[in-house]
Amino acid sequence: MPDEKDQESVIDDVTALAKGLKTTLGEFFSPVVTTMYPEEKSPRAERYRGRHYLRRYDNGLERCIGCELCAAACPVGCILVIAAENTEEKQVSPGERYAKTYEINMLRCIFCGYCEDACPVQAIVLGPEYEMSDVSREKFIFTKEKLLEPLPPDVEARLKSKEQK
Amino acid sequence: MTIDGQSVTVPPGTLIVEAAKNVGVEIPVFCYHHKLDPVGACRLCLVDIAPGPPRPQTACTTPVAPNMVIKTQSAMAVQARAEILEFELVNHPLDCPVCDKGGECPLQDFTFRHGYPTSRIDGPRLHFKKPIPLSANIALDRERCVLCYRCTRYYDEIAWEQELTTGQRGVQSFITSQFDQPLTSIFSGNIIDLCPVGALTSRVWRFESRPWDMTQTGSVCSKCAVGCSVTLWQRRGQLVRVTSRENDDIDEGWICDRGRFDYTDVNDPKRLRVPVVKGAGSTWNTAIDALAAGIKGKGPKLGISLPQDLTNEEAFLFRRLLDGPLKGAKVKMHGRTALPEPDPNQLLIKEIDDARVIVVVASDTEKDVPVVNLRIKKAVSKRGAQLIVVHPDGVDLDRNPHTVHVRNAAGSAAAEVEKLASHELLKSPGGPVAILFGDGHGSEDAADLAAACAELASKVGGKVMPLYRATNERGALDAGVAGWDKLDGVQALLSWGPPPTAGIPSSVKFLATWDHLQRPDHSRAAVVLPATTFAEQQGSYTNLEGRVQFLRPPIPVAEPLKESWEVLTELAVALGLELGYTGIFAVQRDAAQTLPGLADLAEPPSPTPVPTPVLIGPAHP
Ligand code: SF4
Ligand code: SF4
Ligand code: SF4
Ligand code: SF4
Ligand code: FES
Repeated sequence: MPDEKDQESVIDDVTALAKGLKTTLGEFFSPVVTTMYPEEKSPRAERYRGRHYLRRYDNGLERCIGCELCAAACPVGCILVIAAENTEEKQVSPGERYAKTYEINMLRCIFCGYCEDACPVQAIVLGPEYEMSDVSREKFIFTKEKLLEPLPPDVEARLKSKEQK
Repeated sequence: MTIDGQSVTVPPGTLIVEAAKNVGVEIPVFCYHHKLDPVGACRLCLVDIAPGPPRPQTACTTPVAPNMVIKTQSAMAVQARAEILEFELVNHPLDCPVCDKGGECPLQDFTFRHGYPTSRIDGPRLHFKKPIPLSANIALDRERCVLCYRCTRYYDEIAWEQELTTGQRGVQSFITSQFDQPLTSIFSGNIIDLCPVGALTSRVWRFESRPWDMTQTGSVCSKCAVGCSVTLWQRRGQLVRVTSRENDDIDEGWICDRGRFDYTDVNDPKRLRVPVVKGAGSTWNTAIDALAAGIKGKGPKLGISLPQDLTNEEAFLFRRLLDGPLKGAKVKMHGRTALPEPDPNQLLIKEIDDARVIVVVASDTEKDVPVVNLRIKKAVSKRGAQLIVVHPDGVDLDRNPHTVHVRNAAGSAAAEVEKLASHELLKSPGGPVAILFGDGHGSEDAADLAAACAELASKVGGKVMPLYRATNERGALDAGVAGWDKLDGVQALLSWGPPPTAGIPSSVKFLATWDHLQRPDHSRAAVVLPATTFAEQQGSYTNLEGRVQFLRPPIPVAEPLKESWEVLTELAVALGLELGYTGIFAVQRDAAQTLPGLADLAEPPSPTPVPTPVLIGPAHP
C-alpha cells in the first residue's frame, strides 16, 4: 500500500513531465524560423554593410577620383589607392585624377563603412553581399577590377560597336 | 611688447609675425615669407595693435615698437581674419580631394583654425582652364591661386628672373609665365614649396601620393658640390618627392631643379638588381671574384672611373685599394674641376652674405653651383654688395645692371684677377671681399688662377672660395682619389657609377661596372654590379666649403642589393686585402683617423629629427 508521501511525488513527477512536454510540443507546432542557408538566405537590413563596390557614372566613367580619403579614414588601413592623371586619350574618371590602383584587403576590413562615409563622390559603397569565403589569402585582396561595377549596358554596347568598327 | 598677454623682447625692426613665432602664437599668413620682402598683399595676418588706429592691421608689414600691445584674439581681429579667409574662398574651387596640396595646405589649415565653419558662398565661381603646364615640371592651377605673389616675388627678388608675372587686374588677376612660354629657370621648382596653396604643384610628383602616406627623411642633395639640405619623401619603397629643407648655413631653403626633379631614376622599374657576369645573372661572390680576377695586378693598365657623387666612405675605400692591391691604377673622377686643394681658411657660403664686394671668376655660378648663385644674388640685391664678374661670356649674374663684367679672353682670367687689385671697387671695399673662382670648365689654368685669387684676397682683405663642381670633389681630394688621369690605353676599366663621359676607351678588354641603370655600354662589360643610389645608401659628402654632411637614406637596401662599402670591402678581400670592416661606422672611424680631411666622419650626428608639422611659417619645414 503506497503511503501518502509516495503519491505526492508521483504527481509532482507527472506535472514536471507535462510542463516539459508543453514546451516541446509548443515548439513543435510553432512556425519554423530556421533559414536553410545556403539554399535559402535570410533577409538583410536595408543598410547592411557587406562587400564593397566602386561605382560608375551613367556614362560609364568611374566615380573614384583617387583622392585616398577612404584610405585615410579606414581605421584598419586596409585600402591602398595609387592615383594617376587622366589624359585626353585615357579619361577614366571625370576631372584630373583617377585611381590607377585600388585595393581592399577584405581580411582586414571590419566593414565599418567609414570609407563610404569619407568618399567625396560616393564612389566606394558597401553592398549587401557577405559571401566572400575563399581558400587563399591572396584572393581576399580585392583589386579594382573586382570592385568596379560593370559598365552600364548601353555604354558597353557602344564600346563594343566601336571596337567592331 | 606684449602679444596675447605674453611679453616678448625682440630686436628693433622685427616684424610682428616674427615676434609672434617666438611666443608660439600663430598668425596665419599667405603672402608673408621670411625669406621674401613683406608686401601685405593677402591681409590674412590682421591683428589688433595698440596704440594705433582702431582697425585691424597687418602683422607682416608692421615692425614692433616698444610697449606695443598686440591682440590676435580680440573680436575685431578674429572676425577680420575669418572674413579674409571667406574672401579667399569666394572663387576657390575647393577641389581638395584631387589637389596635391591637400593634407599640407595652409589654406585648409587656416580655414579650419581661423575661418568660419560653414560657407555662405553659392554664387558662380571664376573658372580658368586647368591645369596649365608652366614647364615640364610645374603645373599651375589658377583657380586655386590666392594671389599672394610669393611666386612672382621669388622670381624677382631671389632668382632675378622675369619669367613669371601677373596678368589682368583685381579679381580677374592670374599668374602667368611671360608670353605663356615655359619656365626655363633652373630655380623654378622653389615656387612649388613657396606656394601656400595647390596652385603650383610638381608635375613629377603629380598625384603620386598624399602627404600622409609618405615618410620623410632629412638628407643632402647629391647633384652638385653645394650640398643643399633636402627632404626625401618615401612611399612604398619608392622615392616620390624631393623638397627643400631650410639650412641657413648653405641653402636658406632653396634648391635647384636638378636636386628637386632629378630623382625618378631611383624608381626605374628597369633598375639593376642582381650582379651579372658575362651577360648572365650571378651571385655576389662569383661576380666579385670575377671582378677581382679581371683587375688584379694590372698596375697602370687598370683604369678606375669614379662618379661625381662618390661618397667619402667609397673614396676612403678606394684609397685603401689604391694603396694596396690596385697600386698604380689610373683614376679619373667625373665632373670635377681642375681646381687644386682649398685654402683651409676659405670663405664659407654664409659669409657671402656679409661681403661688400663679391668677385666671381671663371664660373657661371648659375650652372656650376646653383644655390651659391642665389646667395650671391641675395648679398647683392638685399645687402647691397657690389659684384665683379670675370668671364669671357655673358653669365646669369649680369642680370643685375650694376654688375661689373670684365670680359677676359678664355685662359687669361689669372692675369685679369691680378689687375683687379687696383679696381676702384676694390680700393676701399668697406668690408670683407668674397672671391669665388671656378676653372672655366678647363679653359683656365686652375693653379695660376687659384694663386692669383689668393693674392688678391690678401691684398684687399677677403677670402676665397674655389667653386668645385663634382658633388664630393672635396672629399675625393681629401682622400686623394680625385684623379685627373687620362683613361686612354688602359686594358681593364672599373667604372664605378655611370660610364665615363668620354666613352669607354677602345683599348679596354675587361670592363666591370657598378651602376644602377641598364646602359648600352654594359653589353661590353664582363661584370655588372647593381648599385645603390643616394636614396638607399649611407655615406657622406664634403661640400665645396668643406662641410661633411651625411646622407640619410629613406629607402632600405632591398636584397640582393648591397651598399657600396660592403661591396668594396668584399672586393678588397678578393684582392687579398683584409679590411675587416663590419659596418659603415667602422669605415667612417677608420677614415677619420687616417685622413685628416675626413676627421668629421668620426662622429656622424644623429639623424635629423623628422620635422613636426609646421603650424607657423612656411608650408614645408
Ligand atoms: S569598411 Fe571600414 S574597415 Fe572596411 S575598408 Fe571601409 S573603412 Fe576600412
Ligand atoms: S573611393 Fe572615394 S574616397 Fe576613395 S579614393 Fe576613390 S574617390 Fe577617394
Ligand atoms: S589649395 Fe588647399 S584648399 Fe584649395 S583645393 Fe588644394 S588643398 Fe584644397
Ligand atoms: S600661384 Fe601660389 S604662390 Fe603664386 S600667387 Fe598664387 S597662391 Fe601665391
Ligand atoms: S598681408 Fe600679411 S601675410 Fe599677407
